[in-house]
Amino acid sequence: MNYFKTILNGIIKENPTFVLLLGMCPTLATTSSALNGMGMGVATMFVLICSNVFISLLKNLIPDGVRIPCYIVVIASFVTVLQMLMQAYVPDLYKTLGIFIPLIVVNCIILGRAEAFAAKNNVLASLCDGVGIGIGFTIALTLLGMVRELLGKGTFFGMEVLPASTNMLVFVLAPGAFITLGLLIAIVNSFKNKKA
Amino acid sequence: MKKLESNILNMALVLTLIAVVAAGLLAWVNGVTSEPIRQINEKTVSDGVKSVILGDRDIEFTVAPAQEKNGFVFHKVMDANGNPLGTAVESVDPNGFGGNLKVMVGFGPEGEILGYQVLEHSETPGLGAQADAWFRQASQDVKEQSGVANVILGRPAKAGNHNIIGMNPGDDMLAVSKDGGQVDAITASTITSKAFLRAVNAAYKELFGYTAADAVSGASSQN
Repeated sequence: MNYFKTILNGIIKENPTFVLLLGMCPTLATTSSALNGMGMGVATMFVLICSNVFISLLKNLIPDGVRIPCYIVVIASFVTVLQMLMQAYVPDLYKTLGIFIPLIVVNCIILGRAEAFAAKNNVLASLCDGVGIGIGFTIALTLLGMVRELLGKGTFFGMEVLPASTNMLVFVLAPGAFITLGLLIAIVNSFKNKKA
Repeated sequence: MKKLESNILNMALVLTLIAVVAAGLLAWVNGVTSEPIRQINEKTVSDGVKSVILGDRDIEFTVAPAQEKNGFVFHKVMDANGNPLGTAVESVDPNGFGGNLKVMVGFGPEGEILGYQVLEHSETPGLGAQADAWFRQASQDVKEQSGVANVILGRPAKAGNHNIIGMNPGDDMLAVSKDGGQVDAITASTITSKAFLRAVNAAYKELFGYTAADAVSGASSQN
């Protein structure tokens, strides 16, 4: 098993947002600005790495019949830990992301990777998978947030770059999220098809 | 190690074990973080009191111990000579777009709004979450757009007003312009705006015991 390849796999070939199309709810909901998207991506990556490692460690201990409840308990614990840590040490980011942090529990990327990867592979490979998928998710969310913020509010990571008259509010709202995501997936696919 | 068999004993044992370990981990993290979280919340309150009453003014002041009444918290602020500067009121409206919307409003001795701060909210990032700046900004100039652009891009803000600083709920209840009031709602976040203004009005009512609406109905019942 090539660990570096596993990481790269999560970023490009199996990018959770652009290729696997997993975890669409937080993707669409939190990317109203680049910084929010990045914060959500990093928060998800933390939970993903921790849960991947622990589930891989425990995979032989957990009987198949109760594996889903066990995974959910592990994931929910890490999300709660993350929530408390963020509240204590990065209160500003916690304030902006608010209700979306607890919702990481039901993010299907995390349960999906636990079931599809961590439950079948060793600890180091699962760690790499968590890092790769996490980075892929973060890049996708940041990219989506950047486009939406630029078109909707005329800012780039909070800095004003476009005059207010070019702002298109629709891109900050939900429909803009769908439009931007669709176009980004189309661009990614066209690159992939060219290579193939 | 071979995978454990899925019989009832194994399943119950493993799930219990994992739950117990998880609970222990959470208890430990909670113990570590509860002190910083409490400090941050306290600092938010004391900074909030200062900013909603004094704004940018840098003068000496004292804050009376907080008083709680009917779910509202009052912080009375006096200058160095004991003259009242105003009162900061913490007020919660349960019907924000994402649940509770907690604000702190500073009223001067006459009831005029000196400042406000959003303490806690679960509003949509980028929309309702703008409440902490929106109601103290002067309105921007009207954008010129064609009719088609209005439909696609959203209607530009009317040349109204959404700066509540200096308004007095005792003269005129705060309401969004859609309801015939004097305050423009946040674009695409009317529910948040209404909840915010309700919290401000309620804070005023609790502090002074009456509002403009009461004054009108009281006068008409006397006739």
